[in-house]
Amino acid sequence: MNKKLEVKDLRISFRTANGKVQAVRDISFELYENETLAIVGESGSGKSVTTRAILGISALNAIIENGEILYDGDDLLKYTENEFQKMRGDKIAMIFQDPMSSLNPIVKVGKQLTEAMLLKSRSGKKEARRDFFRILRALQSAASVGTKEKELFRIFAVTEKRATKLENVYKQARENAEEALSRVDNLLVAFEKKEATLIQRECSGILRYAGACENRFLPLFSSEEFKNILQLIKSGQREKENFTKLSELFNDQLEKPAPDFFALAFFELRSYEQTTDAFESKLSETVAAAAKDSHEMRTEKREAFCRVLRQAQENLAKEWDKGPIYALSRELSKGIKECIDPVCVEKDSTEYTFAGCIHTCCERYFLAKKKNAAELKKFEKRTKRRNKLIAKGKTPEWNVPPAATYETALLKKRMLEAISALLQFYEKEKAAPFDSQKRAESIVAYLKNKASQTTVRLNKNAAKRRAIRLLNEVGIPEPEKRYAQYPFQLSGGQRQRIVIAIALSADPDVLICDEPTTALDVTIQAQILELINKIKRERNLSVIFITHDLGVVANIADRIAVMYAGKIVEYGKSEEIFYSPAHPYTWALLSSVPDLESSGKLEAIPGTPPNMIYPPQGDAFAERNRYAMEIDFKEQPPMFRITETHYAATWLLHPLAPKVEIPQAIKDRIRRMKEGNMR
Amino acid sequence: MNDDILLNVENLCQYFKSGSSELKAVDNISFSVRKGEVFGLVGESGCGKTTTGRSVIRLYNITSGNIYFKGTRIAAGTRALEEEYKRARLEREHMLSRARKEGTDVTDCVRKADAELERLHEEIKAAKADNKHCNKQYAEEEIRRVRQYFSPLLTACTEEERDTLEKKYKEALRVASKERITNKIQMIFQDPIASLNPRMTVRDIIAEGLIIKGIRDKKYIDEQVYKMLDLVGLSPEHSGRYPHEFSGGQRQRIGIARAIIMQPELIIADEPISALDVSIQAQIINLINDLRNELELTVLFIAHDLSVVKYFSDRIAVMYYGKIVELAGSDELFRHPLHPYTRSLLSAIPLPDPVYEKKRKRIPYKPLLAHDYSTEPPCFREICDGHFVLCNGAEYSEYRKRIEGKA
Repeated sequence: MNKKLEVKDLRISFRTANGKVQAVRDISFELYENETLAIVGESGSGKSVTTRAILGISALNAIIENGEILYDGDDLLKYTENEFQKMRGDKIAMIFQDPMSSLNPIVKVGKQLTEAMLLKSRSGKKEARRDFFRILRALQSAASVGTKEKELFRIFAVTEKRATKLENVYKQARENAEEALSRVDNLLVAFEKKEATLIQRECSGILRYAGACENRFLPLFSSEEFKNILQLIKSGQREKENFTKLSELFNDQLEKPAPDFFALAFFELRSYEQTTDAFESKLSETVAAAAKDSHEMRTEKREAFCRVLRQAQENLAKEWDKGPIYALSRELSKGIKECIDPVCVEKDSTEYTFAGCIHTCCERYFLAKKKNAAELKKFEKRTKRRNKLIAKGKTPEWNVPPAATYETALLKKRMLEAISALLQFYEKEKAAPFDSQKRAESIVAYLKNKASQTTVRLNKNAAKRRAIRLLNEVGIPEPEKRYAQYPFQLSGGQRQRIVIAIALSADPDVLICDEPTTALDVTIQAQILELINKIKRERNLSVIFITHDLGVVANIADRIAVMYAGKIVEYGKSEEIFYSPAHPYTWALLSSVPDLESSGKLEAIPGTPPNMIYPPQGDAFAERNRYAMEIDFKEQPPMFRITETHYAATWLLHPLAPKVEIPQAIKDRIRRMKEGNMR
Repeated sequence: MNDDILLNVENLCQYFKSGSSELKAVDNISFSVRKGEVFGLVGESGCGKTTTGRSVIRLYNITSGNIYFKGTRIAAGTRALEEEYKRARLEREHMLSRARKEGTDVTDCVRKADAELERLHEEIKAAKADNKHCNKQYAEEEIRRVRQYFSPLLTACTEEERDTLEKKYKEALRVASKERITNKIQMIFQDPIASLNPRMTVRDIIAEGLIIKGIRDKKYIDEQVYKMLDLVGLSPEHSGRYPHEFSGGQRQRIGIARAIIMQPELIIADEPISALDVSIQAQIINLINDLRNELELTVLFIAHDLSVVKYFSDRIAVMYYGKIVELAGSDELFRHPLHPYTRSLLSAIPLPDPVYEKKRKRIPYKPLLAHDYSTEPPCFREICDGHFVLCNGAEYSEYRKRIEGKA
């Protein structure tokens, strides 16, 4: 499976009047394609903070101290606001907790829905064209490509664009036909119920859409039979048989597969090759050759660069001086640029983020050197003042906030780590066999995708149609009516659906759901969860689902991360978390929810989460933990591996720890669940 | 009136004006809550369960129906009676005009109709009076009780004691005159942030009820406040703080302390845990459960989380669009859900079990498809002992069959 998103050692704090609140402390997780990762935890455990950082909408007083968020070969933490703006909604979309506050109250639902679509189609076109030609140019410039092959690329570019244009015309007509068909179906229902006004309304809609679905790729709609029926309906003969016939016609036509547009476009251009099949195989051959050349060239360059890297490693291990280190960083940034294969469409994060990482590490290091002394001085001064007060016999109400110093050693380590990671990556790449055919396939697919994006033109009407289809998809009744309403006219569940529709409107890759069902009741909650699941399957989305309710998660999550006090305490597949939980906090969460069979006293978690201005030295959960051992108060537990996919951070898993059983209530429940599943 | 029934709601209707039309938030529901039990009220948002709770505590003037608390009518609406009155008068006029035309003698019938009109008029008057004066009457009763208690003491006591005793007597009379029957019903609100005044300290918030009740003894008030804080698991030093200094769970505890300081007999808990974190939810549920046993409270528990309601309640009423569609003991309801809406609701409960969840199929509820009420409108019927369902004749027999088949 492909990694979509990767969070590495993320650490986020908030500057407040009382001191630095450490909201997220060194968490790492990955999100794969077409999977749902649920992040579960109490409020204040840092789950929302993490996802906000992914979208670049952290609060102003947030300090991102450390870490990387890798998406599509880029580190999101290094994005500027403008770059984020391009990515939000388009690549990563978010469903917020409170639908009322995430919708604009004075803008109609329809406008809010189509806004992102229209914006994306406008900006996406330019970008897609740029990407398309960048790859084509890179292929053309690859060493062994001759003039004839270059001509081939040109033809490909023209044909592909022509083909997508044809396809768009076809799609539009087909869309109209589908719309008309759905209206006919509605009408047949109306006939059953004998509702005259509904029949009247649907009829005009059918005529409008049916008139617009004439297209040369849909021959049936220009046939005599079809036109006759339309004429009959127009002249007022609105009998049921006519519509049944119409519905059959539509169904017939829509079942036929779409023609091969690439071939059609190609023949229209009448170029020198005989068939498109031959053309395509020729193209992929050429692309493969070009990719291979390009790859070989990079391999050579990489080898040279590896030597530079090793040298740099030695230099960096010594004491750092400002001048030479900056020069080195510049040199490395330049070197890596040449090593990146431009025709490779799957961007690898290690290569792409390397330059940025090196640069920021340098900058932060020297900034830290400059600022650390001042911070320490400040800290000393405050401590002195406090001590003085205490010496006088007063008890000051304030504590001394710890000095906000950067850890220079850590930055140094990170830089060295980045270099060694890159070296490892290159070695791995070198060892792996290069499959030029596969590479060529991916490049051609990428080019086709980009070409289709350049020719898509979305006007307001089309956007409206798409929005209404989206509203239908998320299960809102009477979408045409809702389209022109304001958010406050809708009920809570409908509002949340609108928010989901907006999040989906620009076809994102990754969907972040921040407690989307907390404000809703059980039936609506179930509907929304089903909806998110369905959409995830249909659109191949990756979903991050945040909630505090473990019960909700069982339905939807593939993997679960349990967070407490800014750390991930347990991490595993959903079956593992529910059937063999390992961390006491997960136990507590599970046993504090009553299920339909539970009786007797609930196992509440005593106390409240710790104050994160002064994070506890040991395990953060120790104070509320019945199973806490001495070491829990002294040292933070590392992540212990239980199975290949299941990890938990608790000292109970240490080989020397006493054996602790899962609480009886949970054991009973798991047993019951397993029995129930057998049946 | 049955002794162990604490709260009895009869044909309660609560309509709101919205524009030109009327919104029937609660439409003709009846239920009774027995002493010492937890009565759960479930339904999706907007189905009128909160409105029911608020009507019971007289936050709204109810449109029609009666609410009895401890056998006393505490609220009464007159809409239904008035409509009936109008209809009866119209009928009488029709009858008279018909008689005039046909020349028949209808004095008997007219007399009957007049008696009926008179009865309805009296009823409306009584309802209005009860609605207005139930608290006054209760206070008068209290005063009588205080008098009865003190008069033998006053006559029997010596000259020296007389002064202190008289002082006590006056104080008791004053408190009694402010006594209200509705004080015995208290409410815990959904949102602990919105329901606590941010500018009052915790002590003021909790003591407010006592002060309104007319108690002036500062020491007594403080004592009571500390006792309540202790009961809900907070410490006395919290009393000087403001609500914003507390976490969500602690705030809800303050709300509970405020309710129980009035020594209520009935607590209306309006979604007390839905605004809280899961780990805190369990604490609050346990707290309400403990208090209920300790103070012998009766609880009207309003929530939408079915598993919590099941855990907590003895009997459950399921509401849908202003109507109670099913009412049964909690085990019975979950074992034999009869009404299609209840079944749909039960099928929507998420469980912490991934394998089960992947198989779970939600049953959607479509009222138009599920019922055919064109020939016979539904009414509330008892299917088996203590299990009521809103259904018509055909459905009734079907439900009977189903339950007998299962049992």
